[in-house]
Amino acid sequence: MTLLEVDRLTVRFRGLTAVDGVSLAVAEGEFVAIIGPNGAGKTTLFNVIAGSLRPSAGEIRFAGRPVAGLGAARMSQLGVGRTFQVARPFGSLTVRENVRLAAGRHYLANPLAAWGRRGRDREVEARVAHLLAVTGLVGLADRRAADLNMGGLRRLEIARALALEPRLLLLDEPAAGLGVDGIRPLAELIRSLRSQHLTVLLVEHHVGFALSLCDRVVVLDQGKKIFEGTPEAVRRDERVITAYLGESGAGEGAMSGGD
Amino acid sequence: MTYFLVVGVTVAVFAILALSLNIIAGYAGQPHLGQAAFFGLGAYTAAILSTRYGVSFWLDLPAALIVAGLVGVILGVISLRLARDFLAITTIGINFVMVAIFQYVPFFGGAMGIPAIPSPAIAGHEFGYRDFFVTAVVLVIMVAALSAYLERTWFGAALKAIKDDEQAAAAVGIQVASYKIAAFVLGTALAGLAGGFYAHFMSVVTPNGFGFPVSVSILSMLVFGGLGTIRGALAGAVLLGIMPEVFRFISNYRLLVYGFLLLFMVRFQPQGIVGEDSWLVHQIGRLAGSLRTGGARRDTAGG
Amino acid sequence: MFIPSLVNGITMGSIYALMALGLSLVYGILRILDVANAGAYTLGAYVGVTVFRLTGSWWIALVAGAAVAASLGFILQRFFYVPILASGPIIPLIASIGVFTALEEAYRLIFGPYIIEFPARVPLPDIHVAGVPVRGVQLLIILVAVVVLVGTWYVLGHTRMGLAWRATAQDAEVAQAMGIDARRVTGWNFLLGYALAAVAGVLVSINYDAVYPTMGDMPAYKMLAIIVLGGLGNPLGTIAASLLIGLVETFVAAYVGFLLPRDSIAFVALIIILLVRPQGIFTRGAVAK
Repeated sequence: MTLLEVDRLTVRFRGLTAVDGVSLAVAEGEFVAIIGPNGAGKTTLFNVIAGSLRPSAGEIRFAGRPVAGLGAARMSQLGVGRTFQVARPFGSLTVRENVRLAAGRHYLANPLAAWGRRGRDREVEARVAHLLAVTGLVGLADRRAADLNMGGLRRLEIARALALEPRLLLLDEPAAGLGVDGIRPLAELIRSLRSQHLTVLLVEHHVGFALSLCDRVVVLDQGKKIFEGTPEAVRRDERVITAYLGESGAGEGAMSGGD
Repeated sequence: MTYFLVVGVTVAVFAILALSLNIIAGYAGQPHLGQAAFFGLGAYTAAILSTRYGVSFWLDLPAALIVAGLVGVILGVISLRLARDFLAITTIGINFVMVAIFQYVPFFGGAMGIPAIPSPAIAGHEFGYRDFFVTAVVLVIMVAALSAYLERTWFGAALKAIKDDEQAAAAVGIQVASYKIAAFVLGTALAGLAGGFYAHFMSVVTPNGFGFPVSVSILSMLVFGGLGTIRGALAGAVLLGIMPEVFRFISNYRLLVYGFLLLFMVRFQPQGIVGEDSWLVHQIGRLAGSLRTGGARRDTAGG
Repeated sequence: MFIPSLVNGITMGSIYALMALGLSLVYGILRILDVANAGAYTLGAYVGVTVFRLTGSWWIALVAGAAVAASLGFILQRFFYVPILASGPIIPLIASIGVFTALEEAYRLIFGPYIIEFPARVPLPDIHVAGVPVRGVQLLIILVAVVVLVGTWYVLGHTRMGLAWRATAQDAEVAQAMGIDARRVTGWNFLLGYALAAVAGVLVSINYDAVYPTMGDMPAYKMLAIIVLGGLGNPLGTIAASLLIGLVETFVAAYVGFLLPRDSIAFVALIIILLVRPQGIFTRGAVAK
C-alpha cells in the first residue's frame, strides 16, 4: 500500500525553482533514499513533505489524504516523524524530557487539553525508557540536552522522532557532520529500524551511506527527478554520474565510496 | 505595623505580576515589556465595576482577570506575526497607548483616574490592612502553586520547548501558535487579577500607576531573581520590592543605586540571583550535597 | 498653517533621524535595543550647556558634547554590552535600562532637577519661507541633519569602514571569517551612535532653550518605535521613518486633532503598520518568520 505520494510537486522561491515537478511514492515498510548534489532541492522537498514549507504547486497525500501545507505540527500528529539536519534539541530540557514530549504527542495537540501532569502515563514512560535504551542515551537521560555532544545529539534526534511512533520517518542527512567513527553506529541504528518494518524516507548527501541502507533511491538534480530505481542500478546510471561529476571532481569517489 | 503591611501587600502584588510575566517571558520565552498595561486593565475593570455598577470585590476580581486575559488574546495574536525584537517594541508601544487611553478617554476618568473604590467586605466586615495582606499572600501562594503545577504539565514543557526551538516544537506535534496565545492569555489574565486586587487596596487608580516604567520594574524583578523560575520571580519581587524601603535612608540616591544594581546584576549574573545555574544556587547545592550523608546526590535547590 | 507645520515636521523629523540613526546602527551590529542611547542625548545637552557657559561657543559645545557621549558609548559596549550578548535579547535590554536610569539620576544629582537654560545664538539668521518665520536654530538642525545623514550614507556605502559595517550587520561570523575585526566595527559603531545622539541633544536643547534630567524619557522609547518602522538595522529606512513620524505627528496635531497625546502617535502608527506589514515599512525581504 502506498503510504506517501508526492505528485508533481513544485516549490518556487522568488523566481528560483527549487523543486520542479517531482513525483514519487513510498510504500508502507519501504526504505527510500533521496540523493543528489548540493542545491538539488533535497532539503526543500524534505521540508515540504514534513509540512514546514508550502508547495507552490502539486499535491502530497499521506495515507490517502491530501496534506500539503498542513503545517509541521499537524503532520507530526498525523504520524510523520522527522529529524533535523542540524540537530535541534530542546536545550533547556533534559534528554528524557525531549523524548517524552514526542512520546506524549497526543497530549500536546491542543493547549486546552495539555493540563495533565507529565510522567504519569505508563505507556509513554515505557516507550521513553525503551527508546533511551535503544539509542544508548540512558546514561545521559537526566542531562540537559544542550550539554550533549554531536553524536549524542544525533541519537537524540532519532530517539525523539521515533518516540512519535511515526508511520513514516523522515531522516534529514543524519550522517551530516559525523566522522567515520560516528557513521558506523548510526548506520547500525538505522538498519535496526528497517528490521522493524518502519517506513523511512532518507535525504542524504553522503551517497554510500544512503545506498547501503535503502531499498530504492530517488536522485534529484537541479530540482528535477533524474533517476529512480535500485541502489545497484543507480551506480551504473549515466545521468546520475554526470550530475555528480558536474558538481565536483570527487563525484566518482562519492558514488563508489562509503560503506 | 501598618507600614509593614502596606509594603507587604505591594511586594505581594509585584510577586504575582512577576509570576504572571514569567509564564510569558520565562517559560514561553516571549519578550513582553508591557505587562503593566494588563495590570492596569485589571485595575480599571475592578474600579469601574465597583464604583459605577456596585459589583462586589469577589465578582469584579474574576472580571478583571477575564478582561485582561481577553485583551491578552489580541497581544498573543500579534505575537504570532512578529519577530522577537519587533514584538518587544510593540509591547512597549501597547503599554504607552494603553496609558494614553486611560488618561485621555473620559470613560476611564482622565488623569485623575477613578477614586473611591470601596474596600472589600466579608459578611459585613470591611477589609483592614491585615485582611488585605492575608488575601495578597493567599493570592501569591495560589499563583505560585499554579505555576508549579504548570511546570509539571505537558503544557509547561511545551512552552519551554517553544522557547528553545519553535521548529523542533512543531516537529513533535506542538501547535506553536495556539500555545503562544495560551501563554499570553494566562500571563495577562493573572496580571489582571493582580490589578483588580490592587485597585481595591489603593482605593484609587490613576494612569501613571500602570506606565511603562512599571512594566520595566516587573521584568527587572523577574530577570534579577532568575527568568524562568518561580523562586526567581518571588525572590526578585521581594528583593527589588523592599529595596527602596531599605535604602530609604539614602533616598536621594535610591534610583541611582537601583540602576547600577540592575546593570551589574545582569552583567555578572545574567541568570538571576537564584535562577538556573546561578552562583548562589550552585553554592546552596554544594552545601546541601556536603550536608547530606555520604553526599551521594548533588542537587540544586528544588523548584 | 501648512507651511509652519511642514517646517516643524521636518525639524522634528531631522532630530528623530539623528537620534534613531545611532540606535539603528547599534541594532544592526549587536541586535540589541539600546535604551541608554537616549542617555547620551541628555548627556550631550548637559556637557554642551556646561561647555557653552565656559566658552560661549555653540560649536565647541556641540563637539564637546559629542566627544563625551561617544566615550560613554565606547565604554558601555566594551565593558557591559558585548560581554552579555550571549544571554539573549532581554538581558542587554535590561542592562541598558539600568544604565539609562542611573544616568538620569546622575544628571539630576549633579545638575539639579530643574530646567537649565541654553541661550546659545547660532550663526544662521531667522528667515521667512512663504511668509512664515523659520528660526535660525531650526535651519541649523535641518542643515546638521542633512550633513550628518549624507555623510553616514556615504560612509556606509562607499568606504571600507562602511563595507565592514554592512558585512558585520549582514552576518557577523562570515564577516569575521573574511578578516573584518568585529570588535573594531562595534567600537566605532557606538562612538558614532552616541555622538549622533549627543548632537541631537545639544541642538534640541538650544532650540527649546532648555536642558533637564528627564528630557531623554520620551525619545528613549519613541526612537525604538521609529527604528522598527524603519525596518530594524536599516539606516536609510530609519531616516525615512524618522521624517515620516516627525511630519505625521505635526500634521495630525495641527489638522486632524487626535484623541491621544502627540507622543503616542508613533506607537499607534507602529502597531497599525506592523499589523499590516509585520516586517516594518522599509524592510526588504522577510524578517518575521
